[in-house]
Order: sequence, then C-alpha cells, then structure tokens
Amino acid sequence: MEQIGLYLGCNIPLKHPDIEQSFRKILPELGVEPLDLEGASCCPAWGTAPSFDLQTWCAISSRNITIAEQKGVDIMTGCNSCFGILSEAKHFLEDKEMKKKVNESLSAINRTYQGTSDIYHIAQYLHSKVGVDAIKSKIKYSLDGLKMATQTGCHTLWPSDVYKIAEQNPYEPTILKDLCMATGAEVPHYSRLAACCGMGGMRSTDIEKSLKLFKEKLISIKEETDPDMIVTTCSSCFMQFDMSQLILRERGEIDFEPIPTFYYTQVLALAMGFDPSQVAAISQIDRSKIIAEMQSEQRLVKEVA
Amino acid sequence: MQIDQKKIDEAVSTIIGYGGTHILDCVGCGACSAVCPGVKAGFDVLCRKLIRKIVTGHLEEIIEETSSWGCQACNRCTEVCPQGVRPQEVVFAFRRYQANELAFSTSSITSQMNLFETGHAVFTDPKANRKKVGLPEEPPTSAYNEQAQKEIQTLMNNSSMGELGLF
Repeated sequence: MEQIGLYLGCNIPLKHPDIEQSFRKILPELGVEPLDLEGASCCPAWGTAPSFDLQTWCAISSRNITIAEQKGVDIMTGCNSCFGILSEAKHFLEDKEMKKKVNESLSAINRTYQGTSDIYHIAQYLHSKVGVDAIKSKIKYSLDGLKMATQTGCHTLWPSDVYKIAEQNPYEPTILKDLCMATGAEVPHYSRLAACCGMGGMRSTDIEKSLKLFKEKLISIKEETDPDMIVTTCSSCFMQFDMSQLILRERGEIDFEPIPTFYYTQVLALAMGFDPSQVAAISQIDRSKIIAEMQSEQRLVKEVA
Repeated sequence: MQIDQKKIDEAVSTIIGYGGTHILDCVGCGACSAVCPGVKAGFDVLCRKLIRKIVTGHLEEIIEETSSWGCQACNRCTEVCPQGVRPQEVVFAFRRYQANELAFSTSSITSQMNLFETGHAVFTDPKANRKKVGLPEEPPTSAYNEQAQKEIQTLMNNSSMGELGLF
C-alpha cells in the first residue's frame, strides 16, 4: 500500500472532522495508507506569518514539511490554503540563501529542512496517483443522473509554476470534473467556473464585498446548471457555500433554496457506501434528503459476474 | 503630482526588502488588476494601483489602506503577469510593511495569538464533533501536543514577529 503523509491543517480537523473522516475511510480502500504527521501545525495561514515576515512563514511551513521528511513520505492535504502555502514556501526554499537562513531558525528546534517531500492536494493525488478508473471500480452507489456544480478553489490553480501538479489550463480546471464524473454524475459547465467564492481574507476584512462576489458566482451556478449539489475540493470554499447561501436566502437576495454543498471526498465516501453520520455529518444546509437519494437502494451497482 | 526621488527610492527598497522583489519590472499594463477578485469586489488599491502608488513614492500615504487585507492570495495576478512581477508578492510585501508598523486590524491579532498558543491560526474545541463522527477526540496536530507548541513558540519568538509584542 502506498503511504502518504496526511497534513490536516486547521479547519478540517477542528471544524469539519467529517471531511477528515471521509479521507480516512476512502484512502485505504483505494490502496493508499495515510500516515499522521504528529504535531503538524497551521501551514501558517495567509493572515498570519506570511503577512508579517517571509522567513517566519518559510520556517513554520518547513517545520511541517520536516515531519513528513522524517517519515520519508510526500505530503497530501485537503485544504487549498495549506496546499498553496506549503507549495509556495517550498518554492521560496529553493533559494539557497533562504534555505540556509531557515535551517538556522530550525536548528533551535533540532530540525533540518531537506526539500525531499513533495506537496499534493488530495484531488490531485486521487486524480493522478490513484486514477479515475480505480475510483470507478470502488463505487457502490452510482450517482448517475445527479447533477454537480464543481468549485475547485483558487489555491490549487495559481500560480501554476510552483505546484507539483498543475491543471492544463487553470482557467478551465478539469481535475475535479473528472473525479465527480467517476461517481456517475453529470458535471455541466458554467461561466463563472474559475471565479473566486469570496472566502478567506476578503470575508474577514469586509463580509459585504465577499458576499457580493459569492452571490454572482452562486447565481451563475443556479441559473446555468441548476445542480443537485455543489462539490468542492477546498475546505474554505465549502464553508463559504455552506454558510453564505443561508445568509443570502435569509436576506431575500436569492429566491431559491440553498444548494447542498459537499467536499469531494464526502461525495466519494457516500458513493462508496460509507456511513453519512461519519463522513457527511456537519453542515448548516440540510443535506439529509440528497444524502438519502445518493445512497438509495436503486442506485446500488450490481456486481458483474 | 509631485514626485520626490528620495521617497521613491525608500518606498521601492522597503517593498523589495519585504519580498516584493520584482516590483521594478512592472510596466503598468493592468493585466493583474483585470483578473483580481479583490479589485472586482471593490478593494481597489491592489495590483496595478498598489504598485503605481509604491513606485511613485506614496508608501506612507497608504499605510492605513485596507485593500491589501482583502487580497485572497489567489495568485491569478502572478499567473497572468507578462513581466514576471509576481504582483501578489508585492501585495504581501506591502502587508508586511503595514504589519511591522502595526497598521492592521486588531481583529487579526487573535489569529497570531492562536497560532502562538496552539499552533493553529483557527482554533475551536473540536472534541464533541470529532467524537460524533467516530474520530479520536484529539487530532494528531499541534493542538494537543505540547512539544509541537513549544517548537512553534520558539520559531515565532526568535523571528521578527516576536519583536512586535503580539503574543
């Protein structure tokens, strides 16, 4: 079984552990053994060390990377921000001077950064290492006929020059689309596919500006695709879609019911037959109806002899 | 507009010092601003406009500007820049200038304290939810790992952030 260091970040283990549980359920079934990176911290988030001092950012990121290096594994994360931060730090650490300075900082905690572990997002890992065919072979409930709108999230797309795996065209991303289609679902295109959802620094700085951007994207999704669910591979996008649709609905700014939103591995775990009370249990939008539909008996894939 | 060479030199070297290394390669084409979600949402002093303010020496004048904190760090600007400026690195260099002069929202101090104390910028007690979904109540992160927290605190105390008295 292929081993990979599972880097959790903050929001997934602390606020949405059902997403973490979905990783832990699907990966072994797909031939991947996630190893815990004990004592890993925040990546550190954009609003912390990266906003104060480049070297401190690289020191904290590289400490996280050394935990994987010590185990001799690459890193996989489900948080787009963590993916962006760790990948960029690794890019800065290619500079010999920066690497030297950071290793001087790390010497105070008896660590040395080598640069031997690569950084992957779980969507990229599933797409390129596990593969769509292997995913298809594990589907227990076919999601055929269900319509998904995809939301990739910014930090796995740009800047493509620092990522180990990049989309062919980051303005028309297809990795998540392929992964969703592996469950049997339909994934129509919409015009604001690559637009920002407005989460992140923007939301904490000015929620009205954030909601304005979010609303434009949401309406594009609704009017152009009218999906059964929104599926994302970014935990921050997940939170924005799950929290902010309800705000817009309450204010009367949208005239439709909030669209159930899932992190991709939750959808996959449900399609693989895992218990929703473990892998898709925490959301503000009620998802019970669509979850029951996804795991309904007539969707059971018949074993071919 | 009055242009003062000394102010320009100071502004540019400050931003380069904080990591906006390629600022002088900007030709002001505005490709960055055209794809910036921050600019689209109304944080107007980002990308082209921010770079313009800096290269004309107007750094102190915009120290209280909040646009930089509305940057999503999405790097669309970096992707499209035909000059290799990496505009997001200029935005973050400007943020670092602001942060080191303590010109930022006090609400962001909580994240710095959380990071210092628990190793997590965002911290909420996860135990009940983790138990509910069948996971160990304590995640294997720094949240409940004293040794890891000590390591983070050492790195932060020894850094330039440690001199700002935020934690």
